[in-house]
Amino acid sequence: MVDVSQHELVPEHTVLEEETLEEVLTEYDIDRTDLPKIKRNDPALPDDAAVGNVIKIVRDSRTTDQAVVYRLVVE
Amino acid sequence: MRNSTPKDIGSINFGLMEPEEYREMSATKIITADTYDDDGFPIDMGLMDPRLGVIDPGLECKTCGKHSGSCNGHFGHIELAAPVIHVGFTKLIRRLLRGTCRECSRLLLTEDEKEEFHGQIDEAQKLGRDLNDVTKAAIRQARKKDRCPHCGEVQYDIDHEKPTTYYEVQQVLTSEYSQRIAGAMQGQDEDAERMSPDELAAETEIDLSRINEILSGSFRPRESQRKAIEKALDIDLTEEDTNKLMPSDIRDWFEAIPDEDIEVLGIDPDRSRPEWMILTVLPVPPVTARPSITLDNGQRSEDDLTHKLVDIIRINQRFMENREAGAPQLIIEDLWELLQYHVTTFMDNEISGTPPARHRSGRPLKTLSQRLKGKEGRFRGSLSGKRVNFSARTVISPDPTLSLNEVGVPDRVAKEMTQTMNVTERNVEKARRFVSNGPEGHPGANYVRRPDGRRLKVTEKNCEQLAEKVKPGWEVNRHLIDGDIVIFNRQPSLHRMSIMAHEVVVMPYKTFRLNTVVCPPYNADFDGDEMNMHALQNEEARAEARVLMRVQEQILSPRFGENIIGAIQDHISGTFLLTHNNPRFNETQALDLLRATRIDELPEPSGVDDQGEPFWTGYDVFSELLPDDLNLEFTGTVGEKVAIEDGQLIEGTIAEDEVGEFGGEIVDTITKIHGKTRARVFINEVASLAMRSIMHFGFSIGIDDETIPEEAQARIDETIDDAYDRVEELIEAYERGELESLPGRTVDETLEMKIMQTLSRARDNAGNIADEHFTEENPAVVMAESGARGSMLNLTQMAGCVGQQAVRGERINRGYENRTLSHYKENDLSAEAHGFVENSYTSGLTPREFFFHAMGGREGLVDTAVRTSKSGYLQRRLINALSELETQYDGTVRDTSDTIVQFEFGEDGTSPVKVSSGEDNEIDVEHIADRVLDSEFDSEQDKQEFLGRRPRPTNLSEHADDRLSIESTEVSSDD
Ligand SMILES: [Mg+2]
Ligand SMILES: [Zn+2]
Ligand SMILES: [Zn+2]
Repeated sequence: MVDVSQHELVPEHTVLEEETLEEVLTEYDIDRTDLPKIKRNDPALPDDAAVGNVIKIVRDSRTTDQAVVYRLVVE
Repeated sequence: MRNSTPKDIGSINFGLMEPEEYREMSATKIITADTYDDDGFPIDMGLMDPRLGVIDPGLECKTCGKHSGSCNGHFGHIELAAPVIHVGFTKLIRRLLRGTCRECSRLLLTEDEKEEFHGQIDEAQKLGRDLNDVTKAAIRQARKKDRCPHCGEVQYDIDHEKPTTYYEVQQVLTSEYSQRIAGAMQGQDEDAERMSPDELAAETEIDLSRINEILSGSFRPRESQRKAIEKALDIDLTEEDTNKLMPSDIRDWFEAIPDEDIEVLGIDPDRSRPEWMILTVLPVPPVTARPSITLDNGQRSEDDLTHKLVDIIRINQRFMENREAGAPQLIIEDLWELLQYHVTTFMDNEISGTPPARHRSGRPLKTLSQRLKGKEGRFRGSLSGKRVNFSARTVISPDPTLSLNEVGVPDRVAKEMTQTMNVTERNVEKARRFVSNGPEGHPGANYVRRPDGRRLKVTEKNCEQLAEKVKPGWEVNRHLIDGDIVIFNRQPSLHRMSIMAHEVVVMPYKTFRLNTVVCPPYNADFDGDEMNMHALQNEEARAEARVLMRVQEQILSPRFGENIIGAIQDHISGTFLLTHNNPRFNETQALDLLRATRIDELPEPSGVDDQGEPFWTGYDVFSELLPDDLNLEFTGTVGEKVAIEDGQLIEGTIAEDEVGEFGGEIVDTITKIHGKTRARVFINEVASLAMRSIMHFGFSIGIDDETIPEEAQARIDETIDDAYDRVEELIEAYERGELESLPGRTVDETLEMKIMQTLSRARDNAGNIADEHFTEENPAVVMAESGARGSMLNLTQMAGCVGQQAVRGERINRGYENRTLSHYKENDLSAEAHGFVENSYTSGLTPREFFFHAMGGREGLVDTAVRTSKSGYLQRRLINALSELETQYDGTVRDTSDTIVQFEFGEDGTSPVKVSSGEDNEIDVEHIADRVLDSEFDSEQDKQEFLGRRPRPTNLSEHADDRLSIESTEVSSDD
C-alpha cells in the first residue's frame, strides 16, 4: 500500500499538543468544535491521531510561503 | 412608519402549535361559511367577521379598536369535526408510525440504543452536522424490530399512500391456503416432486390428521405450522392485509408516545408534541391576509384562501350533520376524506397525486404554500427581492465625451428622481431656486417638507410662493443635478463591477449615456441593452458609494488583480495607428489629436521636416498623456519591446497589451503606482486621443479589403485540390484495408483524424496565401494585430477558405442514412460530403456549404444558451452558500455560527487588488515609498517631519477637481 501522507503533494499533518491547542483556541476565541473538521479515516492523518485531536496542517503557499490550518478529527 | 420604534429580535423558536394555543389566540370561532349578509355587512362568526381585522378604510376593528392600516388583523379558528393530517408533516408522521410501537407507543429501541442515539444527536449538534442523518438512522434501527422491546407486541409495516393516507400492512394466511398446499403437493411444475400427506407430515412434524384437516380447509394452520409447510413445499401461503389508519387512530397513537422517546428523534417535547401534527383545530388567517376586492360592477371578489376556507367549513358542517344523523360509516369516511382534501389543498395546492383545487374559471387556487414558494413567492419575491423607489431603467447608448466616472441621465429621469436637501442657512438660496423652478423646470423640486413634518407638493402654480416660504429646517426634494452620485447596474449582476457608482450628467433625450470604456465590467453593448439607475437617499449611502463604488475604484479586478477597465476596440486601433511606425504630425494636427485632453501646449518638436516645418511624432503625442515619472519596459502586443522612460514613449507600439481592458500594462502600472484618479484621467484621455487619431487616419473596412488577386485565388484552389487528392488517397488506402491505425484508435477513427488534419492544413495554407496579399495597412490586419477585434483566423476565413465545419468536434456525419444529404452517394467519405467549406466568406458559400455551416453555427448557439442557464443556476447556489461568510477583524473567515472557514482570508490575508500581480509576483515596496516621499517633499527635513502619517487627499468628484491641476495630485498614491 502507498502511504499517501508521504506524497510530496500532501502537506504536513501533525497532532497538536493540548497546551498549544489551548493557545490556538484562545487566539481565535472559539471552541474546538468551531474548527474545520477532518475525518479520522483520512489517509493523510498521522497514525497517532485520535477522534477529538486537533491536527495542524502546514501548507506551502505561493503567496505567504507557509499557511497554517487547524482541523478537528471526527469519527 | 416614521414613528415605529426599531425592535430587536432576541430569538426565534420553531415548533408545533398546540390546538389549545390556536383557540387562545383566536379572536372568534368561525361557524358559518357565509361572508356577507344581504346588506353587505359581514356576518358574525363568518369568514369576514369584523373581529378578524378590518380592510375597509374608516371601519374600526372589533378586537383591537384600531383602524385599517394600523390593525394587523387577528386569527380566528374552525373546530374540525374530525381530526385531519397536516400535509406539511406527512414524512415525520410516517417516520413516527414506523418507529414506535402500535400497542404501547414507545420507541422501538432498547434503553442502550436510545442512549447511543441521544449521544449522537448531542455530538451532531456540537459539530454542526445534520440532525436528520441521526434521526433517520434511529428510525431505521427501530424499524428492524419485529416485536416491541417494551411490551412484546408484534409490529407491522406501515404503508404510506401519498399524500395523507397510512395503512398497516400485515402478512396473513391466505383464504385459499388448502388449494395452494394441495396444488404444491401434486407437483404442478413439471420437474417438481409429488409429495404425499404422509411425507408432508413427517417433514413438517405436524400430525397427519391435522394435515388432512388443513388440506380439507377445516383447520387454519397456526403461524408456526404455516411456516413449516411453506418451507417444506417451497410456497407462499400469505397475502397482504391492509388496515387503514384513520387520523384519529394516529392521534391516539401519538398521544401515548412518552416525552423521553421523541427526544431521541430530535423533537423537543416541550415545544412540539407529535399529536399536534394531526389537526383538530384549524386557524383561520385574518382578513388582512386575504382581503376581498370590490370589482368595478360593485361585486365583491374573494381571495383564494377565503374560497378554500368556505369549502372547509361547508364540508365540516356536512360531516357533523351526517354523524349526528347516524349516517353509515361509508358516508362518514367519504366526508372525512373530503375534509382532509380541502384542508390539505388549503395548505398546499401543488401536491403530486392530488388534483389541485380549482377556481370556478378552472384556474388552480393559490393557497398558503403557493404564496411562499418559488421565485415570485414571499421569500424570493417579496422579502429578499423588493421593488424600490428612486430607480430608473432605460436603454443605454455610448458617449465618448463623458468621463468613465459619469453617466448621462435623461432630463425626464432627472426630474422624476429626487435627492433630499436639508435646508440650512448656507444653502437656503439654492434651495429656494430649486423650488421656484417648480417640478417641470430643471433643476427644480418636486416636494418640500416643513419642519412640522407636513409634505407639500411643488406645482407649477405654487412654486413661486412656496419658494419664498422655504427656510432653514425645511427639506427640499430637488431634482438630480450634475455631480450627484447614483448607482448604476446591468443584469445579470454576476460580479461586483456589475453595480458601480457614477456621477450624474443631465442630458436631453431618452437614453442613459456611458463612456465606452465601462462596457467590459458591465458586459454591456449598445444593441438594445437596458440598465438600471438608483438615486441614493441618505448621506451615508452617498458617501459609501463615492468612496467604495465609484467606477474609478473598480479599475482593478478582484479576480486577477489587473485592470479590467481600459481602451477597447476602436481605441486600440486608434493608438495602434498613432504609434505604429511612429508617424509625424504638424502642429495643427498634433494639437487636434490632443484637443479632447487637458493638454493645450505641445512639447518641443521632435524635428524639422524637409519643408522646414517642425513636426511631432506619434510617440510625442502619446507621451503627453503619461505621468512624467513613468518608467516601463516590457514585450508588447506586436511582439516588440515597449519602452517608456521618464514618461516618454521611446520604443514600441501602443495596442491591447499596453492600454487594453484586461491587464493593459501601462494602465495597470499607472493605477498601481500613481493611483486610481490618475488612472481614470489616463484612460479617459487615451480614449479621446485614440478617437481623434482614428479619425485623423480614417478607418473603414469593405469587401475590397478581403479580396485577393486572381493569381492568389488560383494558388488557393490548387492547394485545396491537392488536399482533396490526399484525402482521396487516404480513403482508397482505407478501403483497401491498408490504412494503419494510430495507437489507441480504430482504423475508422484514424481515417477521420487524418482527413481532418489534411483539410485543416489545407485551410491554413489557403490562409497563408491570402495573408501574403494583405499589407500592414489593411484594416482587418490592423485590428487583428493590435488586438482591437478579430483574429487572423477570421481574416483567413474571409479571404482564403472557411474550412471544415464541425458538430461535436467531428466532421458532419448526421442527416440521412449513411450520408449527410441526399445529394451524396451512400458512405461517401469525401471532404465535401462531410462539411468541408472550400469557399471563403468573400467568394460566397454554395448551398450545401451554407447548410453545413449553419449546422456548425447552430451548435455554438445551443452551447451558449445551455451554458448560461447552467452557470446561472450554479452561480445562485454558490452565492447562497457563500453569502453568510464574512472576514472578521482577526483576519479569519467565519460563517454566521462562528465556525472558521479560513484561518486567514485567502490563506494569505491579502486582497488581489492591493497586490501587484507582475510576472515574478513581487512588488518593489521600497521603491514606491521612496518615490512617493521624494516627490512629496522639497527638503529632506520636511520629509523627516512627515514620516508620521498624513491623510490622503480626498478627491472625490469630477466636478470638484480641477482638471488642469492633475499634475499636482498625481503622486498621491491611493494605497
Ligand atoms: Mg447586448
Ligand atoms: Zn385589530
Ligand atoms: Zn410496545
